[in-house]
Amino acid sequence: MDGKVTIGRTAGLYIGAAVLRLAIFTLLPGIPDLLTGRVEISTPVTSFKRLQEGLFLYNHNVSPYDGGVYHQAPLFLPLFSLLPNASSYPIFTYLLYIAVDLLSAGALWKIADSGETVASALFTSPRKEKRWNGFIIAAVFLFNPFTVATCIGRSTSVFTTCAILHAIAKAVSGAPFSAMVAITFAGYLSLYPLLLLPPLVLLCYDRQRIERGIKSVIPFVATNIAVVAGIMGLLFGMSYLITGSWEFLTSTYGVQLTLSDLTPNVGLWWYFFIEMFDSFRSFFLGVFWLHLSCYVGGLTVRIRQQPLVVLTLLLGIFGIFKPYPSISDTSLFLALVPLYRHVFPLMRYTFVIAAVIMYATFLGPAFYYLWIYAGSGNANFFYAITLVWNLGQSLLVCDLMFAVLRDEWEVERPEMAGKEIRQI
Amino acid sequence: MRQFFFSFFSLISFISYSFASSSAGYHEQLVLRPLPLSALLASFNFRSNITVSEFEAHNFRFFPRSLGQIIQHAGTRELHLRFSSGRWDSESWGARPWDGAREGGTGVELWAWLDAETDEEADHKWLTLTNALSGLFCASLNFIDGTRTTRPVMSFQPEGDHIDATDANTHLLYGVLPHEVVCTENLTPFLKLLPCKGKAGIATLLDGHKLFDSSWQSMAIDVRPICPTGGECVLQTELTIDMVLDIDRSKRPRDNPIPRPPPGHELPCNTSKPYHSHDTCFPADHEANQDWTLSQIFGKYMKGTCPLTDPTVPPVCLQVPNSRSVYVSDGVLEKKNLDRVSRCFEISPDTNFEMVLPSPSNDDQVVTDALVKPETPLLYAERSFTGHGQERGGVQTILRNPSPDIEVEFIYMESLPWFMRIYLHTMSARVQGSKSDDKSLIQETYYRPALDRARGSQLEVRMRIPPASTVFLTYDFEKSILRYTEYPPDANRGFDVAAAVITILNKDESKTGRFAAYNLRTTTLLCSLPTPDFSMPYNVIIFTSTAIALAFGGMFNIMVRRFVAADEGPELGLKLLKSKLRARIGGLFAKFGKGNKTQEEQDKVTEPGVVESKE
Repeated sequence: MDGKVTIGRTAGLYIGAAVLRLAIFTLLPGIPDLLTGRVEISTPVTSFKRLQEGLFLYNHNVSPYDGGVYHQAPLFLPLFSLLPNASSYPIFTYLLYIAVDLLSAGALWKIADSGETVASALFTSPRKEKRWNGFIIAAVFLFNPFTVATCIGRSTSVFTTCAILHAIAKAVSGAPFSAMVAITFAGYLSLYPLLLLPPLVLLCYDRQRIERGIKSVIPFVATNIAVVAGIMGLLFGMSYLITGSWEFLTSTYGVQLTLSDLTPNVGLWWYFFIEMFDSFRSFFLGVFWLHLSCYVGGLTVRIRQQPLVVLTLLLGIFGIFKPYPSISDTSLFLALVPLYRHVFPLMRYTFVIAAVIMYATFLGPAFYYLWIYAGSGNANFFYAITLVWNLGQSLLVCDLMFAVLRDEWEVERPEMAGKEIRQI
Repeated sequence: MRQFFFSFFSLISFISYSFASSSAGYHEQLVLRPLPLSALLASFNFRSNITVSEFEAHNFRFFPRSLGQIIQHAGTRELHLRFSSGRWDSESWGARPWDGAREGGTGVELWAWLDAETDEEADHKWLTLTNALSGLFCASLNFIDGTRTTRPVMSFQPEGDHIDATDANTHLLYGVLPHEVVCTENLTPFLKLLPCKGKAGIATLLDGHKLFDSSWQSMAIDVRPICPTGGECVLQTELTIDMVLDIDRSKRPRDNPIPRPPPGHELPCNTSKPYHSHDTCFPADHEANQDWTLSQIFGKYMKGTCPLTDPTVPPVCLQVPNSRSVYVSDGVLEKKNLDRVSRCFEISPDTNFEMVLPSPSNDDQVVTDALVKPETPLLYAERSFTGHGQERGGVQTILRNPSPDIEVEFIYMESLPWFMRIYLHTMSARVQGSKSDDKSLIQETYYRPALDRARGSQLEVRMRIPPASTVFLTYDFEKSILRYTEYPPDANRGFDVAAAVITILNKDESKTGRFAAYNLRTTTLLCSLPTPDFSMPYNVIIFTSTAIALAFGGMFNIMVRRFVAADEGPELGLKLLKSKLRARIGGLFAKFGKGNKTQEEQDKVTEPGVVESKE
């Protein structure tokens, strides 16, 4: 585990991950389409099949946004148009998705090697010796079954994952402009990553302060926000040029905001809004979005010393409470959790969390089958398992937060390490 | 060849009738055609004309006033309304009556050309038209909203003569209600549109019990302008009812309507089989039950003729070979047509008309000629769902061109509900026997994708099928899950999907002026969507809110509280309660107790409280 990371081992890891994915793609040709159809992997805003339909319409001069199927960002259309047709030459699409996964792993490796998680600008953990190196972190990400399934299912959320990880990697390496560009891309693709902006700007600020001695925070924040707004304007302008109208805004971001497509997924929104009374629908949409964004401020203030922790916890929360979550969001959160190897001993419910997540992972598809195909169960079966899944995940988020805060507290009270504590 | 001549002659006679009638005000005609498998096709046709100047002066004469006013009010140039149910069995009954031009898919279909400057104005007029027709025909036409309305691009052409048919101010709108159950309440207003109101003439035979008991029926209302060369334009209303009656079923006595198996000696048996005896019977299906009387089939006699009808058009025609004998009431003149397979009857206005068609004599030669052989249709079409489960599926249409040497070119149109999300990139057409799809089959595609809760998807495909081949047209779709208030009361029954409309393009030079050589519609489909639990709204709101509250509470609980060692800080929870109780009990002891010693104890007990006040 603590062995030296040589170039050979690095290459071996990447090649191993690529070969695993390629083997599944080529040796089991039914698997990619099967996974693409799974509601746990493909949501209305990330599905590869919908992307293909949007692409087909785009290539045949029908606006894909003048329809109810395609809800993804316009820039995907020219990107995938450049690739050969996915149904006749799928290998190019596979290679693109594998490359994106490897890029994400590379960014994760950089984050791990920066040591930001154990020693940030304002805080150094007393347990900083006890951490995993980038090789292990990247390996955990690349061989996580959730990540592999997302890659094989060709969900477009891998692009968002990659952009978010690069934004964090650039932020910890002291390149705020690149970080802002990356997070803008993520926000452009999926909207919700824009909520990560406050902790990300703070992370950049902390790094910059060490390296260049920037004192005042307000001009720095203003510059970064201007960068994000500028890049976003540029992306929207390009999208407008590609599609020729602004209707993509309502069809991509409007669908996320209003949840007009109620296709089941692993989140909490779909069944709630199926069963919601019509007159209260807009009220609860507001409440759900407010709830999703209320964590940003609280966490950013409370864990000011470690902005990366805030980012990690927020990604965990978004994986639970965003409108169209999938296991891809969980895999992103689970990719960042091993960075906190040093606080694992402080976590209290590791076994319960692992058990609940495994339980939901195995029972989810079974219950979905009972509802949709066998007809021996009803919608409540799948709904119940999504509740369990989300409770398990929120327990993990809470527990990680507890562990991190306790770790912070033990800097003030070093004698309390290993002692029983309580919260008042 | 002989078949061809028969149909040719019947066509000539049909055209001569229509020309004769275009000048006269009103005519009606009933054509009866026995079909194989003991079925009988009855085609009622009522046609009335009005010149445009009279129409504009509100001088409606034979034209139904109620319909005329609606058409004027909604700025309608041409109107087609269909009420249909059942399925036309083209495998055994052959080509459809009127070449399929007077039938609709199951349910209600409406298409009209409206005069409007803009799309919004057209939508507004369409709303007026559907609501007015809904009231007139007691049908749910007012449910034809944006999600059920399409604007076909290739499939329909006006039947009438419009001076500026391609004008941008003429909008074609098409709406369909596949779920509508056509019944007696739609027939009654239909009969009221007739000049004789169903009190005289062939309309007296129309009875809801018989019409809606048929294997297939289609009621059609067509209003179109016709401009003869050199004459004044007339507005023509054509009301058509086609029905296929099961003769066995219709002959059931009214006082004993429950179907029971017939006793052995009444079974129609094929006596030519070698094993036929008193206890074995091979059913004689094809030619059996070809003996019937008009009153048996329709339950009553025909009451004379409508006095307003054009006397040159015979009111009743029967299409059986001339070799068969037919008995009619006194005062009825039978005229055999030149084509040798049809005859017409001229009836005086006051005669009760009855017709008896005896079963063909047992001579073998005659039996094979007892029926006019049905014409082969230009195309057979069947549509079905593929796949299983309530998540996704596919639609497969099997199109068969029976002709050995003629290629068929047609337009296939689907208007699908928005909750079927179709994936057009999966559409493929392949000829039976080949594995891969054939790009040359699909000539042109027009597709307008569905928009959630706003409009349905519209797909029009121009295809060409080579002679004597079968083509499979397939595409995938995904079933969306709806809000629980959007499901109908019987949600698990499924949702009706409208029939596909197939318009075979006219390539025949001899029939110039006609856009479609033949029309046909597939059956409707029943699409089952995933359903939520309808009894659960409160439970789901409570459970989800609880899950969110647990996460929110857990997180903010950790966020806002501080850490202390287990033995530091104020007592909380049970410990606090315990210490308070001890203090209270200690206080009681102090009151009733023994003096200074207990006072000291009490001080010790209340120590935690002291700590609290210091904090």
